[in-house]
Amino acid sequence: MENNILQLKNISKVYPGTIALENVNLSVRKGEVHGIIGKNGAGKSTLVSIIAGVISPTGGDIIIGNKTFKTLSRNNARDQLISIVTQEPQVIKECTIAENLFMPDYASSGFFINWDRIKSQAQSIISQAGLHMDAGMNAGDLSISEQQLLLVIKACYVEKSQIIILDEVSASLTQDDENLLYEIIQKRKSEGCTILYISHRTDELLNVCDRVTVIRDGNAVTTKDCATLSKVELSHLIVGDGYTSASETAGLPEAGEKTEEVILRVNNLTKYGQYEDISFCLKKGEILGFAGLRGSGRTEIFKGIVGIDPADDGSITINNETKKLTSPVEAFQSRILYLPEDRDKEGLINCLSVRENLTLNILPRISRNTIIKPAKEKDYVTRFIELLNIKTASPEQTVDELSGGNKQKVVVGKIMAAEPLVCILDEPTRGVDIAAKEGILSIIKTTMRKSSSVIITSPGIEDLIEVCDRILVLYQGRIVAEFAAEEFDEKVIYHAQQEERKVANAAEIQNRDFLA
Amino acid sequence: MPQKSKIAIFWLDNLIWVIVALFFLVNVFITPYFFSVNNIINIFYHSAIMSMLVLAEGIILILGKMDLSLEGILVFAPGVTMIMATKLIPGGLNPGLCIVLTLVMGGLLGLFNGYCVTRVGINPFLQTLSLNIMLRGFILFLLPFSIHPLSEIYTFAGKARLFDGLFPVAIPLVILIFAVFQFMMKYTTFGRKFMATGGNPRASFISGINTDRIIIMGFIISGVLAAFAGLLAAGKQDSISNAMGQNLLMVAFAGAILGGTSLDGGKGTIIGMFGGAILLAMITNSLNLLGVNVSLVYATEGALIFLAILLDRVKVRVKNNILQQNKMKEVLEHKKNMAVLPGE
Repeated sequence: MENNILQLKNISKVYPGTIALENVNLSVRKGEVHGIIGKNGAGKSTLVSIIAGVISPTGGDIIIGNKTFKTLSRNNARDQLISIVTQEPQVIKECTIAENLFMPDYASSGFFINWDRIKSQAQSIISQAGLHMDAGMNAGDLSISEQQLLLVIKACYVEKSQIIILDEVSASLTQDDENLLYEIIQKRKSEGCTILYISHRTDELLNVCDRVTVIRDGNAVTTKDCATLSKVELSHLIVGDGYTSASETAGLPEAGEKTEEVILRVNNLTKYGQYEDISFCLKKGEILGFAGLRGSGRTEIFKGIVGIDPADDGSITINNETKKLTSPVEAFQSRILYLPEDRDKEGLINCLSVRENLTLNILPRISRNTIIKPAKEKDYVTRFIELLNIKTASPEQTVDELSGGNKQKVVVGKIMAAEPLVCILDEPTRGVDIAAKEGILSIIKTTMRKSSSVIITSPGIEDLIEVCDRILVLYQGRIVAEFAAEEFDEKVIYHAQQEERKVANAAEIQNRDFLA
Repeated sequence: MPQKSKIAIFWLDNLIWVIVALFFLVNVFITPYFFSVNNIINIFYHSAIMSMLVLAEGIILILGKMDLSLEGILVFAPGVTMIMATKLIPGGLNPGLCIVLTLVMGGLLGLFNGYCVTRVGINPFLQTLSLNIMLRGFILFLLPFSIHPLSEIYTFAGKARLFDGLFPVAIPLVILIFAVFQFMMKYTTFGRKFMATGGNPRASFISGINTDRIIIMGFIISGVLAAFAGLLAAGKQDSISNAMGQNLLMVAFAGAILGGTSLDGGKGTIIGMFGGAILLAMITNSLNLLGVNVSLVYATEGALIFLAILLDRVKVRVKNNILQQNKMKEVLEHKKNMAVLPGE
């Protein structure tokens, strides 16, 4: 125990309405690469943000070396030599690579910054890490992958941190850069640094890490040695045993609702660099799920269909009419509505009331000659508040004051009220508590499908299995697999999400097995 | 939410009327001649032009944009119309047509602003600033001397009085306009979309609202209102001069913000803006009656702008504080429940 460099004791984080982390215990040994894995929304990022001092926990202790902290500020964490590289590269685009590397501690002689020294130092660090960049270039001119590597280098070589947190760094890296990342990690490890490596890709984690902690629903389930763990075992730990076989739930959707009439057909939708050749069809009354890891292109495809970020190529056919939607206004007229994954930024008008939000999409129906009929409006609003069981003091309460789950129900209600032909729901259960989640899913399964066809994604595959008739699996902007209701199995789909990655790394995995 | 916080938030949202009432009461006692029918009518009459500008600025602020060209439109629209009527077109123009032309000109200038802000993507601050300077420059060139006698019909809105010259028509006109806007924002589909666009343009766009069109409409309405303010100003002084509307713009901002409109967009009520305009007029009036130097009155107006912005910040902070505390209580309660459950 004496060589634990970082320990978390009973760390909890409570948000209004949800519990992100519940009494998490974690101990990280000095000089190891410690993996943290879990499904989307399991609480991985919350956990490491607490360690890095970006957010403060609601309860528990953080023990670094032999000092105990109740909460860390970012500066505290820096003093304890903790660095974090986040999922989205956060470089300052207008500054040079050299400036980005040294910010905020510039080399200076007295009051003045010594630019020559900074640049030459930066250049030597970059080449030491095995990269080929000109330190005088603007960071904004680098590709996303290079930006991410730059930040890794900053954390590893410039800040000279003892604990380096890499939060799903590989998600934005190219294959070559990824190999470079592994090299850097090995090098730092041999120099005695401790690395916390977060990912939701099992093969990668097993390659890189010494030990791995599995997070499920805000709890640290277990910590295992990677050497004795197989990929299949790890997948089991991540998914848990609650949903071993989905056959009982898969049978549930009433088959009578689904017909063979095709409502929406998507033909070869392509946006270069994001997704390619997306073709599928949606039948009347069908609930179609899209599974895929973050960055697999789910949101981008949806935004392409409804014209928020129109696709470069391809078309969609609605009721046998081929169109190309170039703005949400057109999608609205074609009765295709999109529920955005980011409800606060894109879904709700936070400063308006529940009533005004719920009726935003059905204004023509509650008004005559553009003048709103308050009685009619009240009818609709009470109906949807009851139907969705929205907990609000009154319809006049501002949406801002509701909890996350109830906010989400308002967005769902807003879309349902319009009775669209197609509902495209991007993570309708994101960041809501279990009760609200069940409520939303059952509404989708029973009421919503009566009037609309539904396309849905979810942070958890088990949600999709619960409501969908069919699931398509996306990987790097392509549809790689399709499952019908009777084939649903959470583990199989979880594997399918990472399919191609497995092939790419097959050689390494074999190598590993051989060594083991 | 507890009743106490609800009441506190209600007062914060209607702060302007509290201030108006307090200020009125204080002046009744300390300012001579303040509390008389004539003076009160006077206050309303003098607030008419300002209140139109406050309304014009306020609805643009609700959209989360800003408009610095109102002052320029105020002088340019009636100025150019009357130059056409008196100098360019032989035989002149029908005064009724002049009124329409003035308002249309204001609308067109607003359309120009709205188009550049939405379709071209120019920052509204820069767009309207440059237009304002342009308009002011043009009018100084076109109108070196005032145009003096104006037709009775053209000056009707600004000058005419009812009941033996006691009661200016401008007052009921302005109140009517505020009432129409209040109704429009609350009970029409356009008003709903307008508030939604201001509150969260991205979410409104994704919901299928044509936000660009709403913003352009907002600028057009604001331009028409500014032109109407120009009509009132021309009527009041029975002439059109190039100095009309000078220094009014920033005070219009102050009025809108005092009235509870937020610079972040989405927040603000029409009635509040009316209150803001009345407060401004009352302050100027009482300072004049107290015999304060004109330059100091101007300085006071500057201080008012500062006060208005400060007030806005304090208000937001106090309100967030109340909401945050309520939320914290909720979470703690939740946590307590969670702690009890596993034990049982």
